[in-house]
Amino acid sequence: MSPELRPSLPLTAEAPEPRAGIAAVPVWLIILLSLFLYWGMVYFDQHSGWFSPEVYAPYRSTAELALYQPPTGGIDLSRGKAVYENICGLCHGNDGAGKPGQAPAFANSEWALGTPNRMIRIPIVGLAGPVQVAGQQWNLAMPAMGAALPDDDLAAVLTYIRQSWGNKASAVTPEQVKAVRAEVGNRTQPWTAEQLNAIQ
Amino acid sequence: MNYGPLVFLAAFFALASSWCGFVLTPQLQIGRLQQTNTVGSAAATYPVARPGLARQGLEVYRANGCAYCHSQQVGQTGTLLDIALTDAGTNETTTIAALLKLADASANHPGVLTALPPWGGSRSNASTTALLGELPRAFLRSSTREAANAAVKTLNSTSAKAQLWIVPVGPDLARGWGRRRTVAEDFLFDSPVMPGSQRVGPDLTNVGMRQPDANWHLLHLYAPQAQVKGSTMPPYRFLFEKRRIRFQPSPEALMLPPELAPPAGYEIVPKPAAKALAAYLVNLRADAPLYTAPLTVPAAPAASTPTNAATATASAK
Repeated sequence: MSPELRPSLPLTAEAPEPRAGIAAVPVWLIILLSLFLYWGMVYFDQHSGWFSPEVYAPYRSTAELALYQPPTGGIDLSRGKAVYENICGLCHGNDGAGKPGQAPAFANSEWALGTPNRMIRIPIVGLAGPVQVAGQQWNLAMPAMGAALPDDDLAAVLTYIRQSWGNKASAVTPEQVKAVRAEVGNRTQPWTAEQLNAIQ
Repeated sequence: MNYGPLVFLAAFFALASSWCGFVLTPQLQIGRLQQTNTVGSAAATYPVARPGLARQGLEVYRANGCAYCHSQQVGQTGTLLDIALTDAGTNETTTIAALLKLADASANHPGVLTALPPWGGSRSNASTTALLGELPRAFLRSSTREAANAAVKTLNSTSAKAQLWIVPVGPDLARGWGRRRTVAEDFLFDSPVMPGSQRVGPDLTNVGMRQPDANWHLLHLYAPQAQVKGSTMPPYRFLFEKRRIRFQPSPEALMLPPELAPPAGYEIVPKPAAKALAAYLVNLRADAPLYTAPLTVPAAPAASTPTNAATATASAK
């Protein structure tokens, strides 16, 4: 009997091969994953610091970081210095020592150290005529150099004058400048020394 | 079916996304980092490049694998606010009363406001008066901005002058390994950056602040156990040379204890690599107050009264 003619054996019924079918993902799993995704987004939102290179843990944002900046230890004179050297320093000298024939000194000047009310008025409309500064007699005219300056710049530069070159007087605030400007009003006539001395 | 394009695209996107995360994002974040100014009253440029010898020392540090056992990164877990007095004011009685009142109130809100030792433990009128002579000094510590501001306001309403000091805290800082966390600016002039990954030895971010003496570092490299009891650091004696004293002893020779000293007529001198490494270690210091890592560096306590008294006594003699 040749192998080809061997009768085939009857096939027994077998369990079918397992096949990967399509089954629906359980609803609870979808909800759970969505909740995780939402929580992840919220966490990312609160902790990423918007990828700012300035923010490292434990700080979470630049706003939080700004809260923790150390005090500068006194008033920042850098702005006043910049304004001074642009405007005032040309005549009064960057060292505050004044220039002969141009402008009197600020260092140790009773005008710079005296009441701010008197000092704020000078740059707003100017000062003309004889004036005694630190024991020296001057007779020149100062134009209204500060008339166009904003209140905070004028306050910054006056503070710089009052606290530099050995001067140690109180700071001038923008509010003070604003109040004096309101008092001066529309005046364009420069002050004289007597008028200013009358002001306390 | 030909899966070639799909496999290519999958591999391409996998590599491209990791490149974006590991290369592109850090480059965008801190790739253009530049020198900045420190914040606070004394603004200075930070960081400054290491001196030449210290720069060579970085190569020695790298070559000897120091970074395998020493990290150079300090962590920080939070920030607290100290309420410090800079000026006791004209009426010390009201200042002391306000301080004691705040400290008593802090007992009711533990954690928000804490009285700092040594004052906090045994506070009384007498001990407070004694401490008011050593200003500026922190008296209370607060965990919230509101409580700290309120305390400063209370103290300022007396004649005293109070300030907030920003104090970074964390386990590393409690170990004395620094004053603040490490930020990217600290490594600006280092190439390669060696932040390290293990702490078999202590963190070295601020070792120059803890131990500013180069000779100590040289002795420690030659014989670690002679300087630090129980140290597991291996000695780096190949960085040193034992040589015969020819004419007179070298000023650089190590001052070794008797049991380690070389035989008579010989001396141990550091090779250039050891000197460079010591210069690098002394130069390791990252504690400047930066915008990214705020802290208050309190001014040194004004020791005017005792010093003046001592001078007066001395001149009187």
